[in-house]
Amino acid sequence: MSGSRSAVWDRASASWPGRAVIGLIVPALLGVVWLITAQKGWLPDQLLPSPVAVWQALVDTATSGDLWTNSLISVTRVGEGFAIGAALGLILGTVLGLSRRARELVDPLFLLLAQVPPLGLIPLAILALGIDEAMKVAVIAWASFIPVVLNVKQGVGDVPQSLQELAEVLTFGPWYALTRVVLPAAVPPIFTGLREGLANAWQTMVAAELFASTEGLGYMLALGRQLFQFDMVLAVVLVLGVVGLAVNGTLALVERRLLRWQGQAA
Amino acid sequence: MNSHVGNCSVDHLIDHLAFEAIGVSPALEIDHVSKTFRVGGRSLEVLRDIKLSVRTGEFVAIVGASGCGKSTLLRLVLGLDTDYEGEIRLEGQRVRRPGLDRGMVFQEHRLLPWLTAAGNVAAALRRSGLPSRERKRLVAEHLTLVGLANFARAWPRQLSGGMSQRVAIARALVNRPRFLLLDEPLGALDALTRLRLQDELARIVHRENSTVLLVTHDVDEAVFLADRIVVLQPDPGRVSRIVKIDLDRRNRDRSAPAFLRLRDEVLDVLGVRHTAREAAA
Amino acid sequence: MSWITLTRARPARSLWPVVRRSVLGLALPALLLVVWQGICVARLLPLYILPSPVAVIARFATELSGGQFGTDVLASLARVLKGFFLGSAAGLSFGVLLGLSRWAERLLAPLFLAYRQIALFAWVPLLSMWFGGGETGKIAFVTLSAFAPVVVNTWRAIRAIPDSLNELGAVLTFDRLDQISLIALPGALPGIVTGVRSALIYAWLATVGAELFLDIAPGMGGRLNEGRDKFEIDLMLVALFVLTGLGLVFSQTAALIERRLVTWRLG
Repeated sequence: MSGSRSAVWDRASASWPGRAVIGLIVPALLGVVWLITAQKGWLPDQLLPSPVAVWQALVDTATSGDLWTNSLISVTRVGEGFAIGAALGLILGTVLGLSRRARELVDPLFLLLAQVPPLGLIPLAILALGIDEAMKVAVIAWASFIPVVLNVKQGVGDVPQSLQELAEVLTFGPWYALTRVVLPAAVPPIFTGLREGLANAWQTMVAAELFASTEGLGYMLALGRQLFQFDMVLAVVLVLGVVGLAVNGTLALVERRLLRWQGQAA
Repeated sequence: MNSHVGNCSVDHLIDHLAFEAIGVSPALEIDHVSKTFRVGGRSLEVLRDIKLSVRTGEFVAIVGASGCGKSTLLRLVLGLDTDYEGEIRLEGQRVRRPGLDRGMVFQEHRLLPWLTAAGNVAAALRRSGLPSRERKRLVAEHLTLVGLANFARAWPRQLSGGMSQRVAIARALVNRPRFLLLDEPLGALDALTRLRLQDELARIVHRENSTVLLVTHDVDEAVFLADRIVVLQPDPGRVSRIVKIDLDRRNRDRSAPAFLRLRDEVLDVLGVRHTAREAAA
Repeated sequence: MSWITLTRARPARSLWPVVRRSVLGLALPALLLVVWQGICVARLLPLYILPSPVAVIARFATELSGGQFGTDVLASLARVLKGFFLGSAAGLSFGVLLGLSRWAERLLAPLFLAYRQIALFAWVPLLSMWFGGGETGKIAFVTLSAFAPVVVNTWRAIRAIPDSLNELGAVLTFDRLDQISLIALPGALPGIVTGVRSALIYAWLATVGAELFLDIAPGMGGRLNEGRDKFEIDLMLVALFVLTGLGLVFSQTAALIERRLVTWRLG
């Protein structure tokens, strides 16, 4: 009754190359529509540049080296900010997770600080640190810090009593217990926090660079906007997508390796 | 007392001739049905050449070890799966999709957790086209039928396993379906509840005069409830033998010699040793 | 520990733990305030760089009595809510589509997931070119921010509904509408609520961003910009605190709504 037609599709979607092809159908169709719209001039260039122009802009920035330099700068910024924010976040999160007293002292303030929009901080940060690297890295670090603290605190705090007792029974010293039992047990939530922190860092980087920057991918966006070079803006948006995927994908790979013991559950 | 049917094809012939004589098509006809699953590139034959005719009002039980395709057969009759060889006909019409003429009770109660007991039963009336007052009446009537009139407003999580299954039975019956399909409905319940619900089921089925197809691995249950027992053997699922139960359906005694003899016969067909003496021999 | 004995010695005073917790919780902020005031009094930093807490409060009072603040807060709120509802509605529909239809999922999910990789703020230049920097542009941006979290959570939640329940719908001969209203939506409700809650928070952050990046207009972000342009740090700090406070209101409201809906299901 269902016939052989759907059977073909079902088999195609069973394997990942098949799925990839199916997933490309709609983007490909949209691309064709885009091309035709641009060629026929149905929409003005200010509204929708031709894909050819976008591709050209991409090629131009790539060959001139601008694309790579700016991408590297953006990624490095994120790396630095995230590293600082995540490291500090891990420390504070662990302390908060372990000590009830610390939680009582810090939680209310932290709750408030977590609501401060990183974007809102940028103008102030500019006044305090100028528009240079330091400001951006600081704001990115802040954006990474918050989710890492929240997730690590929860993860460390949720380590089952039974595991902590095990550490005592095996006469682990506090440092050993921390690094060999508590932290590894809290790795899944820690990684959730790192993932969120990295996502935050990435978003903040783009925003910060849009706001005030002389280099980086966000800067390229702002420049394109100012010069009304729509094709450049679109090209950078696409590049941002690809680079964002690479950055998040790397973290996902690391996470999967570290959580091998969890099996398919995660 | 009990007719020793040696060969199932003879049994079919007799049935077929009986139908021909009366000039009536059987309520349910499973005609040379075979089903193969494709699992990970390999073919798994689950049912092979199943033939069965069921009369209106008859209670047929299907027993067999796990993996003999009993549940699959039920799903084909229900119309959830239409990819098989052969034909399944209900009163002469081919089964193409599920319908309200077939009520189904699964092994898990499958009550919607966000609806009350009454809400769950009413869900089956969604597509019935009946006016709202009629629906309310039917829901109340069927909850009373299964003895849960006082629990109409209860949430599924507040009900025990047995009660939930009774709601599921009420849901399957509320449309007054001509066919009742039961897939190991009592399998998930404890032994005492199971016995009690078997009594309930016998009573309800008699009252509604439904044609019933019951899949179970519990031979005692099958002998207690059914007119005929179809024994399937696994790998692939084939009809091994059909055993007629010539006991009075209203009045079966689980300890009566006749009952036990029939039960032993079925167990025999299944290849299970059932007495210590035999085991010792 | 003396704390414990102290608590145990006063079983009747159920208020004590609450009092103690508030005192502890306020200790750190109070300390920071004191340090801040101290820095200003000691003139460690010029006052035009870091106004004193007193000055900030004074500025807050001035702005409040000026009456403009009310308009600003309402303007920001209006943007959040408009964008949030538009984005959530669109997200819910798309999420239901991806959740119910295998084909929609195969065809559209890769594109959606690719779209998600692009940082939200990257769309600001494009949106401002398409819609201008005015109200439409801002609301478009907020809508976009609310869209993705609702889609993802709705989609996942519907897919997580056990097959046995979906099959039940087929057995009871449900049509598409019944399937959605009786099985998909109720079953996915907890996940949907989580998505909507995230969307509210993202919408708020996006509103702040939109107000900062796009044209100046009534709104708290606008006041922050104003403070920056006029180099009035006290105004900037006031705006920042109000923004933080509003953010707190949003996140707590969202959490409260989520908790209420969940207890209704379980209770």
